[in-house]
Amino acid sequence: MSAGLMIDLTVDGQKVSVPAGTSVFDAARLNNIEIPTLCHQQNEKPIGVCRVCVVDVGARVFTASCVRPAEQGMVVSTNSEKVKQARKTLVELLMTDHVSPCARQRQSGDCELEALAKQDNLARSRFAPQATRRGVDDSSMSIGVDFDACILCDRCIRGCDEIRENFVLGRMGKGETTRIAFDNNLPMGESSCVSCGECMVSCPTGALTNKVINQTAIAAPGSEPVSFQELNELPFFEGVSGTFLSLNRNAVVRRRFKRGDVICREGESRSPAPSPT
Amino acid sequence: MIFSELREIQRQFGYLPAEELRTLAKKIDVPLYRLHGVASSYPHFRLTPPPRVDVRICQDMSCHLRGAAELRSAVEGAAGQIAQQDVRISGTSCLGRCDQSPAVAVNDQICSGLTAGHLTVMIGNLLADVPPPMPVESRHRVPCALDPYQTDEPYQAIRNFVQSRDAKGALEILKASGLRGLGGAGFPTESKWQMVRQAPAPTKFIVCNADESEPGTIKDRFILSNLPHLVIEGMILAGLLTGAQKGILYIRHEYEEQEKILHEEVRRCRKLHLLGTSVLGSDFTFELEIFVSPGGYICGEETALLEAIEGRRAEPRNKPPFPVIEGLWNMPTVINNVETFANVPAILLRGVDWYKAQGLGGAAGLKFIGVSGDVMRPGVYEVPMGTPVSELIFKYGGGIPNGKKLKGFAPSGPSSGYLPASMADVRLDFKSLADAGSMLGSGALVVCAEDRCMLDMALNSTQFFRNESCGKCVPCRVGSQKLVAMLTGWTHGKGSAADLALLDELADALRLTSICGLGQVVPAPIASVLKHFREEVDSHLLHSHCAAGVCPSGKSGATPRIDARVQLRHA
Repeated sequence: MSAGLMIDLTVDGQKVSVPAGTSVFDAARLNNIEIPTLCHQQNEKPIGVCRVCVVDVGARVFTASCVRPAEQGMVVSTNSEKVKQARKTLVELLMTDHVSPCARQRQSGDCELEALAKQDNLARSRFAPQATRRGVDDSSMSIGVDFDACILCDRCIRGCDEIRENFVLGRMGKGETTRIAFDNNLPMGESSCVSCGECMVSCPTGALTNKVINQTAIAAPGSEPVSFQELNELPFFEGVSGTFLSLNRNAVVRRRFKRGDVICREGESRSPAPSPT
Repeated sequence: MIFSELREIQRQFGYLPAEELRTLAKKIDVPLYRLHGVASSYPHFRLTPPPRVDVRICQDMSCHLRGAAELRSAVEGAAGQIAQQDVRISGTSCLGRCDQSPAVAVNDQICSGLTAGHLTVMIGNLLADVPPPMPVESRHRVPCALDPYQTDEPYQAIRNFVQSRDAKGALEILKASGLRGLGGAGFPTESKWQMVRQAPAPTKFIVCNADESEPGTIKDRFILSNLPHLVIEGMILAGLLTGAQKGILYIRHEYEEQEKILHEEVRRCRKLHLLGTSVLGSDFTFELEIFVSPGGYICGEETALLEAIEGRRAEPRNKPPFPVIEGLWNMPTVINNVETFANVPAILLRGVDWYKAQGLGGAAGLKFIGVSGDVMRPGVYEVPMGTPVSELIFKYGGGIPNGKKLKGFAPSGPSSGYLPASMADVRLDFKSLADAGSMLGSGALVVCAEDRCMLDMALNSTQFFRNESCGKCVPCRVGSQKLVAMLTGWTHGKGSAADLALLDELADALRLTSICGLGQVVPAPIASVLKHFREEVDSHLLHSHCAAGVCPSGKSGATPRIDARVQLRHA
């Protein structure tokens, strides 16, 4: 398809026009129609495994909107009763074996799976939980791993591979026994992981969370630390992953200035000042 | 390449030691997690040393009907007294010997027709280092109506084509014949080939799917044994007609005998210059490779199969794009089943009228059907497309053992669901079975006698899907497991009316949101049993009673049966 070609389609009755190559997910998003998802985020290659973003395009089965390119004349329904019900069942299936509240939910209250379950008014799953728990891996100094909170969205894997090019994380096993694994299923702390934290900030749930290992704030004379709870509640950070905030909590400090104080000087270390125009 | 390296390590050590994986990762510059992710997802590879005697008993459909569970518990009892550490007895997925049930793999060698006594002696012998007798499969070829050569020199269709170079004409014949894919999906063959022919790409591929792994499906094994020349000729013709220069025949690793036969046939073709850079002296090029699968039913899903050839975990791709546009190594690819390729030479040589005249009741062509389960003569039968099921059961299959009556049948393994005896006159063809709410699938007729519990059969089928799910997408990975848990509860007399509503929701999610066909058919067995054998399910749900006395709920004082799942190799 040539660049600049526009595709016309209908999303939830709304006629929209997007550049060729745009996914159905993005075609909706660019027109303020939000499709829920768990495995897809904008900075990673879409893989369509959680199926939460499925939409009805009039085919025999639904299609994952994150991996489906928009087509000329396509008629998309993102919120029919049938689509919503299927999506709800998927969330209920995932919630069955998800330890709730998971570490993320406890820490920052923003586990993406639990948020979807809340939207769907899912108090508890009607399915039977798995008899055996998948367990935790506490071997890493900086990152806590809870396999029971993992929904196998592969966001951590893509974070490790595509974003950081560290190539440590992958899926192992098959079917119901599938898990994420570090190297050849080593404990995270003994693997070739460099603790960059990309997997953790990519994780939608409490499967990979920040361990609080260093309480020292960046010490600047006259600055006060800001608690993670306070940070998490600031409207400024709305929509930022709680795990990411937790990881970076000490990068934000509070300083009070009096009239006439110099806030920063051009060229001063760690003080990016606007360049004079 | 990854697989051949892993195989070499396993041949040397008996398993894949962690240190060897680490060395290999460095040597071939592939991340360690990827090697481990691949190795841990295929049943062929072992990450821990095998026991001295590894007995895997098929637990699926046909073997389930022919006493696999009884064989397993008898051998477990006997083996427990011999040497617990050195012997492992576990269940396994379909081994492709549904006509010789119950099938058993002893140290990866497939044995059939064994009693618990035989098997116990064999285990004892192996512990005493006495090798088991090598099974001998007869090399006598069964003459088939589909073979246009019989006594003549084969590969005439290729000779004709190289002389005429009339690709358009050949494709028109295929189109007029109406040949559809015989692996299950039934896609029109000519239009698949036409799409690849017209795709503008420098490289194209022909892939033959010989990975049949669904319980009851044994007809490709028969075709590969008896008509290997037709399969290879069909693949070469596909190459010549579409412009693809490379063919890959993907065969399941349990078909070692057929692998040998194919290698011999490929050697013969090279000698005859039917393969190579100048096919029969023309400017056509076609090379053919035989690729042995590292195992798993999911590899039969065409895009998972492509992933496997590319050395990755066998996880189906999101479609579109379909393989005709982006297939192997992202190039346009024809993927057809063994039987589909085998039909092409006959159609091109004998013509459309011959092909259409072979079928019955308006259907065209011939069909190979595997018949197994409760029949006197299980096996593969070549019949006119459109032959009634009853004829296969009673005429070809010799009826049901011990004079029992027919209760139901699966026209094509677990994915077709079950139909009742009252529908036994249904014809085996695409339209008749679709009209009956089932499908022709791959032609795997599995027969259930009057004393079978259909809820138990539905559970067994669902367990197969759960065990063989690749785990890539949520509905199939989690949903198949939840469905097994629900149905297991029902067989224990634990279930409620609320379960039925929940089942409906789960079935819709599986059908509508799974990436591939495996996930989409997971609810088919129980849905068909609820439709045709409702009173049996109700009896379990309402009265905790299994009329057949098969389920735990039907046996007074019986201990709950432990769900016989495939033993996890990497706990």
